[in-house]
Amino acid sequence: MTSSSPLLQVRDLRVDVGERTVLRSVSLDVPAGSLMVLMGANGSGKSTLGMALAGHPNYRVVAGSARLGDVDLLGLPAHERARAGLFVSFQSPPDVPGVKNNLFIRTALNAVREARGLEPQDAFDFLSSAKQEARALGLGEAMLGRPVNEGFSGGERKRNELLQLSLLQPRLALLDEIDSGMDVDGVRAVVELVARLRAKGTAFIVISHYLQMIEQLQPDAVLRLDQGCIAETGSVELARGIARTGFARAAVEA
Amino acid sequence: MDSARADILAAESHLQAHGWVSRRSEAFRHLPPPALAQWLEGASPDAHCGAPVLSGTGWTLNPVGNAPATGVHARWLDALEPAQRAELFADLPAPGEGDAAPFGWAHRALCRQGLRVRVSAVPGKSANEQAPVWLHLRHQPRAAVEAPLLVLELHEGVRCVLIETHEREPAQCDVGLAQNLHAHVRLARGARLQHLRVVAPGERDRIAHFVHATLAQDAHYAQALAATGSSYHLQRTQVQLQGAGAQARSAGLLLTGAHTLDQQVFSRLDAARTRSQVEVLALGNASARTVANAYTRIGAGSDDASVHQRLSGIALDGEPRMVLRPHLEILHDQVQAVHGATWGRLPEDALFYARQRGLDDTAARALIIEGMARALLERCLDGSDGPDVLTPWLDGGWLTQTIAGHLTLAAQEPTHG
Repeated sequence: MTSSSPLLQVRDLRVDVGERTVLRSVSLDVPAGSLMVLMGANGSGKSTLGMALAGHPNYRVVAGSARLGDVDLLGLPAHERARAGLFVSFQSPPDVPGVKNNLFIRTALNAVREARGLEPQDAFDFLSSAKQEARALGLGEAMLGRPVNEGFSGGERKRNELLQLSLLQPRLALLDEIDSGMDVDGVRAVVELVARLRAKGTAFIVISHYLQMIEQLQPDAVLRLDQGCIAETGSVELARGIARTGFARAAVEA
Repeated sequence: MDSARADILAAESHLQAHGWVSRRSEAFRHLPPPALAQWLEGASPDAHCGAPVLSGTGWTLNPVGNAPATGVHARWLDALEPAQRAELFADLPAPGEGDAAPFGWAHRALCRQGLRVRVSAVPGKSANEQAPVWLHLRHQPRAAVEAPLLVLELHEGVRCVLIETHEREPAQCDVGLAQNLHAHVRLARGARLQHLRVVAPGERDRIAHFVHATLAQDAHYAQALAATGSSYHLQRTQVQLQGAGAQARSAGLLLTGAHTLDQQVFSRLDAARTRSQVEVLALGNASARTVANAYTRIGAGSDDASVHQRLSGIALDGEPRMVLRPHLEILHDQVQAVHGATWGRLPEDALFYARQRGLDDTAARALIIEGMARALLERCLDGSDGPDVLTPWLDGGWLTQTIAGHLTLAAQEPTHG
């Protein structure tokens, strides 16, 4: 890959969910280390883009392409997309009953490390780094020993997504409303972690409606999704405009 | 004729007169047991070869780690020797006439050896001061057709952790074992037993295990069973909560694989403030046949008794046959009872979540199944009622390896119903 080619390249992506076409045609480029904010009204297809890229079986790609670096994402099963460096944080992370959080994350981390040709991390080293990251994110250490997301509050689930993001260190992360359910400290933790990972080259697509966080993230671009297409591209000013006038007005003005 | 021989002949005579388990029996109609002849002496093994007969040591009793085993009194008794037989069967109820009674009579007819274990409290210490006694009870089959017996008595206030494992060395040929095992567990007032049972027979084995537990006032009994399927495998537990405040918990992890497995838990609550909790998690491949029966009877006068039954079945592939039957019989007004059964697949959202984090399909399924299994066992042996019995066993890897084996099998099996 040359330095000028984007890390993620999506072309004319069309996605059906059940009988309905949700994404009609989406194209976007995301360079390494950059950050795009994706905005759009409810049902415009924001989460569908994430799920389709992640390979969720209910999101059927009927046309288009998506490459992550040299890898044809759409030709891979979900776990290989993750191992290739794609991380999608869930809007509502599910419970994984009985599976201790530290075991879950370490198993995932070692699967990714194996794909990168690295030695697996042993339980002791992992726990040490996991505790450190959890502290930085404001997630209690006790959460590491509890079953994944079981009994977690909304904010704790999102912090747990951030913990996985920080430990897995993907090439591209799509964060779907990571701020929802978060308190101000949580939002600050998002901003700090994103900045830290961007500095290491991780690219981000952030789905959010929260202007203050969007401004703090210093995005390279803001995209507005409307009826399954990228309707508008701009700077953080676009986000400010949407915050002022709402999506309906923005669509008319566009 | 000596009294031991007379007792055996009486049992055989009873079987001849009353016959074998009825195919119409409610408890057995979904998975009828093999014919009587297969549970008696002289039954033909499945295969003939020159391999040595199964020659395990029967019951062996071992301490666990450095945990104390004070107050333990164990007697191995020969059921063919009249005096020892009398001691072995002393105060055990006769098999009676119930639906499973033929197994009891067949056991009386074939039993050749048994173990009686008694655990006494340390003198001078209150119930709260008694250190838990840890025991590992291993059973290795001594013959291709056998009827082992175990009697375990915990005296007042005793706390005990019992890990019971059934280990089967692979035979040099595929001789199937027929094992009709009966265990009697008696908990005196305030006694507490955490009982982990691991039963993993060979594919061709025919296994029928019966646990008869009686609980006096304020006694607590928690039994967690981890079992795999075989050509016939029955695990039946009968718990009688006779004293006020007695509590019983039962968890059954049924890893049926591509075979059969039948768990029956019968509980009788006959006193005030008694509690019973029965949970089953059955996992089966396409050709599995699993039955889980939970029957609880709350007797008259059982004020504030509480019952919880939850039976869950998960198909690992295809459409295995699973019969989940929660059943309550309530003869008193002032009680709480909850029961239910669910049948389904592994949670798709959790599976995709794990895949999105980099786990391949097999690893994701294994992790989630093991998580569900651990959660089930932990709810039963949660450590709040005594020491942590599960962690050392889980760390041994049996569960992980067994689940991996089932998933490999599921991947190879054609997905027919």
